[in-house]
Amino acid sequence: MPKFTLNGQEIEAKAGQTIIQAAEDHGVEIPHYCYHADLPIDGNCRMCLVDVEKMPKLTPACTTLVNEGMVVRSENERVKQAVRGVLEFLLINHPVDCPVCDQAGECRLQDYYMVYGLHTSEIPLGMKVRKRKVIDLGPMVVLDQERCVLCSRCIRFFEHVTETGEMQFFGRGDHVAIGTFEDRPLNNPYSGNVVDICPVGALTSRDFRFKCRVWFLHATDSICGGCSTGCAVRIDHRDGAIFRMIPRRNPEVNRSWLCDEGRLSFHELNKTERISRPLMKGRDGVQAPVTWEEAVRSIDARLKEIRAANGAGSILGFASPSATNEGLFLFKRYVGDQLGATQFDFRVDSEDKNVLEEEDQILRHFDKHPNSTGAIKLGLMSKELGGIDGAIEAARAGQIKAGVVIYFPPLVRRACDEEVEGRVFELIDVLEYSVVLAAHKSEWQTAASVVLPVTPWSEEEGTYTNFEGRVQFAGKAIDAGGDALAVWEAFAMLLHASGAESPWMSAEDVFASLTEHVPAYREVTLDKTRLPGVIVG
Amino acid sequence: MPALPVMTKILLANIDKPDQASIAKYRERGGYKALEKALAMEQTALIDEVKASGLRGRGGAGFPTGMKWSFVPRNTNKPTYLLCNADESEPGTFKDRILMERDPHMLIEGMAIACYALNCHLSYIYIRGEYEFVANTQQKALDEAYEAKILGPSVMGKDFALDIFVHLGQGAYICGEETSLIESLEGNRGYPRIKPPFPATHGFLASPTVVNNVETLAALPWIVQNGAAAYAAIGTEKSKGTKLFSVSGHVAKPGVYEVDLGYPLLDFINKEAGGVANGRKLKAVIPGGSSVPVMTAAECEGVLLDYESLLKAGSMLGSGGMIVLDETTSMPETLSVIADFYAHESCGQCTPCREGTGWAAKILKNIIAGEGKRSDVDLLLKIADMMEGKTICPLADADVMPIRSFVTKFRSEFEDLCSN
Repeated sequence: MPKFTLNGQEIEAKAGQTIIQAAEDHGVEIPHYCYHADLPIDGNCRMCLVDVEKMPKLTPACTTLVNEGMVVRSENERVKQAVRGVLEFLLINHPVDCPVCDQAGECRLQDYYMVYGLHTSEIPLGMKVRKRKVIDLGPMVVLDQERCVLCSRCIRFFEHVTETGEMQFFGRGDHVAIGTFEDRPLNNPYSGNVVDICPVGALTSRDFRFKCRVWFLHATDSICGGCSTGCAVRIDHRDGAIFRMIPRRNPEVNRSWLCDEGRLSFHELNKTERISRPLMKGRDGVQAPVTWEEAVRSIDARLKEIRAANGAGSILGFASPSATNEGLFLFKRYVGDQLGATQFDFRVDSEDKNVLEEEDQILRHFDKHPNSTGAIKLGLMSKELGGIDGAIEAARAGQIKAGVVIYFPPLVRRACDEEVEGRVFELIDVLEYSVVLAAHKSEWQTAASVVLPVTPWSEEEGTYTNFEGRVQFAGKAIDAGGDALAVWEAFAMLLHASGAESPWMSAEDVFASLTEHVPAYREVTLDKTRLPGVIVG
Repeated sequence: MPALPVMTKILLANIDKPDQASIAKYRERGGYKALEKALAMEQTALIDEVKASGLRGRGGAGFPTGMKWSFVPRNTNKPTYLLCNADESEPGTFKDRILMERDPHMLIEGMAIACYALNCHLSYIYIRGEYEFVANTQQKALDEAYEAKILGPSVMGKDFALDIFVHLGQGAYICGEETSLIESLEGNRGYPRIKPPFPATHGFLASPTVVNNVETLAALPWIVQNGAAAYAAIGTEKSKGTKLFSVSGHVAKPGVYEVDLGYPLLDFINKEAGGVANGRKLKAVIPGGSSVPVMTAAECEGVLLDYESLLKAGSMLGSGGMIVLDETTSMPETLSVIADFYAHESCGQCTPCREGTGWAAKILKNIIAGEGKRSDVDLLLKIADMMEGKTICPLADADVMPIRSFVTKFRSEFEDLCSN
C-alpha cells in the first residue's frame, strides 16, 4: 500500500492505483474527460495533468501509478494553468450551443469552465472547425460531432465492454470526429450507455432529447425493475412523471452500465391505463367501485367462508416476482400465517430457472422480474404446484377455490409475454373467488372477483433481491395516481381487517419485521441494502 | 581558423558507384563481410561493440543505440523484433531515401547484424507510403539477399534464421514516432502509445522491440568491419561518427552530404553545399528538420554540427534535415507552411496538439493574408505554451519549437503584417 502526498496531505493508495484513482478515493477530484473508472485508461484529454516532484513535465494523473513517497500537486498554479490551457483548447472549436444542448447542467465543459476557465474566447466564430451535427445513430443515440471532446470513452465502451466496436475516430488533427462506419446505427443492446459516459453533449439520448432541462429533474435512487440482475439506477422525474433512467455505479453488479431495455423500461408503466379504485363484483356479477375498507372487509370475510367450507388448502397465494420483498412478506403473512393457506407460487414462466440464466455476458438475465429470488427466499414457490400451470389445473380440479393474486407484467417485454399473460388470465378465470392486486387494466380484470389497485415499481419504496441473492433498496420516485396503495399496505389493511396485528407504518417497518422473521435476512439492515447491497444466504 | 577535418565516408562511400544496389556489386565492394564477421562474434560482444562506437539514433532523438539495445530483456519467452524506421517524413529530411535507393544492401546488412545481436528472427522495414519506388528497390535487394542465402532459415550458413519484410505506411507523419509505427504495423490507427511501458519490453505485438532509423542501422556494417574504436575516433567527444545532412532551401548545391560530427555549420553550408544560392545573404537556418528551432545567421557563427553544439546554440541536430533560408525569405510565410504541416499531421489524440496545431496554423494564415491583429503574435506564443510538454508524443513540441523560435527571433516581420 504505497503512501504518497497529495496537495500536502499524506494519503495511502491501493496497490496498482493511478494518482487519479487514489485521489478519488480520498475525495479529491482531479478534472478529467477521458478517464472512466470502468473503461481502460487512455490518457488523451490531458485535463488531469498534475505536478509530480522530480518529474520535469506535468504528468497525467490517470496514467501515472502511485509510487511510495511520491509528492503530487493537483492544485498549484502550474497545474491550474495547464488545465486552463487544455480547457481553452477544447472550447475553441466547440459550438457553445448550451441553450439548445441537452447536456447543459450536467456538462463537464460547463463545470470545468466555471472552475478553471472563465476566459473570454480568442477565436472568432468564422475560424471554428465545423463538423457534422444531428447524426442519427440508431434507436438510442444522436451524435453531434462539434460538441465532442474526442475523449474516446464511447469508442472504448464499444471496444471493451460490448466488444462490438461500432464507433471509431475518423480523420486526424482538429478534423478528427467520432462516428460509425457509414453512419450505421448503434443497435447493440447497450448502446444507451455511451450517452451517460459522454462527458459533454456529443452523444445525447434519442429518448430524452429536448424533454426537460436537467436542473428541473428530481433524482431518486432505485434498482432497475427490468430483470433479475438488479442494476443500480437513478430515476429522474418531475411532476409525477419519469423522464429518464440512468445507471448508478455499483461495482459489484452493473459497474456503470445499464442495458437499453432496462433504460427504457419505465415507459411500460404508462402504456396501458391504470386501475384507480378498488373494484368488487356485486351479487349481479358486475364490478363496481368500492372503498378500500369495504373491499378488505369483504375479502377477509369471503376468504374465511371459503376456508371454513373447503379448508385452508383451497386457498391459493399467487405472488408476483416484481413485487418488493416487503409486499411479498405481508402477502405471505396474510394469506399464509393468517388464513393458513399452504399453496403458494409465483412462476408464470420458469422464473426460478431463468433467474440465473444469463442473456449475455454483460448484464442481462432471462428472468424479466427484479425479485424472483426474493419470492423464492420467502417460500413462495410450491413444489406440488410447480408454477401457474399446476395452479390452473388444481383450480380446474376444484382443489383450489380461491386465490389472492398479485400481478405486475414485466417492464421489459418479450415476444412470449402475451401467452404468459393469457395463463394469468386463465388462472383468474378458473378461480371461484379471486382477489387480484394489480396496477394496470387488462383483459383478466373483468374475471376477477375483487381488483385492488397497487403501486408498481418506482411508485413504492422497498427492497428487491437479485439473482445472486443481493438485497438492494429502491426508493419511491413518484406518487401513484388514484387510490393505489403499496402492496404491503394492502396486506397490512387485510391483516388488520382480519383481526391480526398490523403495526407497520412504513416499508421500513415491514423490512424490520421481515429481517426478524425470515432467517436468511436476519443480518440485514436497511443501511446494508444501499450500494453495493448485501448478499443473503 | 583551424583546418577542416578530413571527411570520412561511411554511409555514402559507394553511393554514386554504378549498380551499387545490386548484390553482386555490393559484395564486390566488400559488402556482407561485416555480417560474416558479426556472425562469428558473441551477441553480447556485438552489443558492447555498438555501445563502444558511440553510435546514436539518427532519426532525430540521438539516443545511444547500444544502450537502446541493452534495454531489451534477454531470455524471455517472447520473440524480439527489430523494426527499421524508414518513415522519413520530417520536412527537409531525405537522407534515408538515398541509402535505400542507392545502397539497399547496406541497410539489409546492418539490419542482419542488429537482428543477430538482439536475437531477433523477424524484422520489418516500415517505409513511408510515398516512398513506394524506394520500397520496390529495397524489396528487390531483399529478394536478392534471400536468393544468396543471406536471409532466410540460415543466415550465411549459420544456425540463425532471419526474415525481413517491407511494410509500406499509408501516409501519416505520426507513424515515424516509434510507438505509432508499432501501432500502424499492428494494423491499428497510428496513435502514439503512452510510455511506460516502453517498446524495449512491450513493443510490437506486446513483445520486446527495437525501433532503429535507417541511417543508424546502415552504419553498423562499417562499425563491425572497422571496429568501434575507428568509429568513435570520428566526430566529437559525445557526438561520434558521421551524420548525413539533407540540405534544401536556398543553397547552390542542395542534396545529401555525409559529414563528420563536429563540422562547422557555416563551413558546411558554404563549402559543401555551395553556399547561399544566387549570391544572396544567409538569413536563417533550420538545422535538423522542420521541428527544430530556427537559427538566425548570426547565431550560426561558430556553431558545430553535433548534438551538443546545436543544443547549446538553442537548436537541435534532429534528423539532419537542414533548411537554409536566404534574405528574401518571409519568415511568417515559412512558419505558416511548417505550422500547416503539423496541423495536418497531428493524429488528433491529445487535446493540446489536436486543437493547438490547428489554431496556430489558422492564425498564421490570417497573418500572412494581412488579416491578423498584433495581439495574434502573442497569442501564438501563448498557444505554444499551452501545447508544450503536455502531450503523449513530441509532435506538439515539434510545432512549438518553430513557432516560438520564428516568432521571437523575427517578431517584427510578423507584426509588420498585422493591423492593430
